[in-house]
Amino acid sequence: MNQPGEPPPFLGTWKRVYTAVLTYVVVLISVLYVFSVATAP
Amino acid sequence: MKPLDWVVMFGWLTFLVSYGLWRGRKSGTVSDYLLAGRTMPWYAMGLSIMATQASAITFISTTGQSYVDGMRFVQFYFGLPVAMVILSATAVPIFHRAKVYTAYEYLENRFDAKTRALVSGIFLIQRGLAAGLALYAPAVVLSVILGWSDQTTTILMGSLVVIYTTTGGIKAITWADVQQMAVIFVALILALFMAIHLMPEQVSFFDAVTLAGAFGKLKAVDTHFDWNNRYNIWSGLIGGMFLALAYFGCDQSQVQRYLTGKSVAQSRLSLLFNAMAKIPMQFFILFIGAMVFVLFMFVKPPVIFHPVEMERAAQSTEFKPVGDRYNAAFEARKQAAQHYLDAKHRGATSPADLEELRSSQREFDSARQDGAKLVDKARGSKGFNDTNYIFLSFVTNYLPAGVVGLIIAVIFSAAMSAVSGEINSLATVTVIDVYKRHFQKSGTDRHYLWASRIATAFWGVYAVVFAGRGGGFGALIEAVNMIGSLFYGGMLGVFVLAFFFPKVGANGAFAGVLAGEAAIFAANHFTNISFLWYNVIGCLVVLATGVLVSKFEPAKYPG
Repeated sequence: MNQPGEPPPFLGTWKRVYTAVLTYVVVLISVLYVFSVATAP
Repeated sequence: MKPLDWVVMFGWLTFLVSYGLWRGRKSGTVSDYLLAGRTMPWYAMGLSIMATQASAITFISTTGQSYVDGMRFVQFYFGLPVAMVILSATAVPIFHRAKVYTAYEYLENRFDAKTRALVSGIFLIQRGLAAGLALYAPAVVLSVILGWSDQTTTILMGSLVVIYTTTGGIKAITWADVQQMAVIFVALILALFMAIHLMPEQVSFFDAVTLAGAFGKLKAVDTHFDWNNRYNIWSGLIGGMFLALAYFGCDQSQVQRYLTGKSVAQSRLSLLFNAMAKIPMQFFILFIGAMVFVLFMFVKPPVIFHPVEMERAAQSTEFKPVGDRYNAAFEARKQAAQHYLDAKHRGATSPADLEELRSSQREFDSARQDGAKLVDKARGSKGFNDTNYIFLSFVTNYLPAGVVGLIIAVIFSAAMSAVSGEINSLATVTVIDVYKRHFQKSGTDRHYLWASRIATAFWGVYAVVFAGRGGGFGALIEAVNMIGSLFYGGMLGVFVLAFFFPKVGANGAFAGVLAGEAAIFAANHFTNISFLWYNVIGCLVVLATGVLVSKFEPAKYPG
């Protein structure tokens, strides 16, 4: 088995991968908020 | 269902079970049977985790919930990606390093045997209840389609799941899940396409979105904070995060999935894949429910979505005035919708147009309530709820032959996947944390393999028996989440103590779990606080109690 320190297959470090995922979530929630506002009467 | 539907349904189910069994044919050791020999790649684990969550309940209840309550339920998943990141950074490497079969095994290494026994006992109770509900949902589907009783369908479904799971182990379950997710995506796209395609010619997709928005069905984000409001961005981010932390970090049915990973990196990627995909998938499913709501503004749905109850009500002498009122309310709402769209196209909507639309919906809902009252009267009960039949009514009455079979097959196999994963994890905890730990410590690998198979069969039977009581719950998905929230807070708290509070010892952890569970049950019994907050409350009480008790009795081996 590989060790816990094994790097991710992209973005170089796990810290960067986690940051990318959290950024994605912020963008996604923002898009849903805009969608909610835009579709409200 | 038409002959083509039966062919599609049985063809898919036969393929799915056969494929799973074929992939799991070499599960000759306990490690193979329970952890797939720790050989799984990230995409298989990730899809399997998604498939376990995307149970039949997801299709039946989530779409119905969106139809009735709009899309605000999606906020429930906002905290999930944050939880996935936290778990990837903490729990995944810790569990992998400990080389455990269950999360609760780790608790004995960190604390003591009684803490492990307490938490594994909580898991067995909580997951056992959820497994019964997950089995009940597809039984509803088949009983409606086939005209069988819920009990008959539950027994048949349960038997199939037990055979499949007992034989193949987690490898069979995981690889079958991978196939299943592909078909789930196809079925979801088809269902949405058909809901839009079946609308009248003059109603475009954007018109449908406009109408759904006018009724507040597309309000996916609510920023107003309210303790008693079940779904807003704050309860979703905070409460949802705690629930996801508990579900993926302490619930063996999920932990076991990523323990099958061939490396820490592969397990992490499987969780992060979920972090990325879960919200869009739930949004998509809820959006289908909202589009079905709009479709039924132009295509008249039955007064009652439960076909058996509808047929019974229609034979009542009191039904005619109810039916007449319903028909009139439907036509009035249809006209109001068309009028609103016309005004929208002219760019001249007024508050009066919107009020006319909403008032027609209130009258329509009231007419439907009259129908529900007839059902209550005939049954001698109160609070009849047909939310779980809305999507089924759409599928069986309006979709073409073949697509109906495919969607029913997906619901069926989704249930098999969810229940098989749950009973597999229940069996793992029963054998590893109870039987091997307390009753038979020095058996052979073959002995524990057979013990695992027998435990799997036992939990399958238990789920079938419990499923017989599933009809007493409202929207099923909320019931499952509710049950989880009563127990997850205590479980999460003890794992947080284990990971991050090295000075807290066994007695502090044990007292913490008891205090946390007491706090959750008190909140449930004496307050109106939304269940999403129970995990936060429970976890914080566990931490406070654990730290406090350990002031008087520190850990013997800190860290």
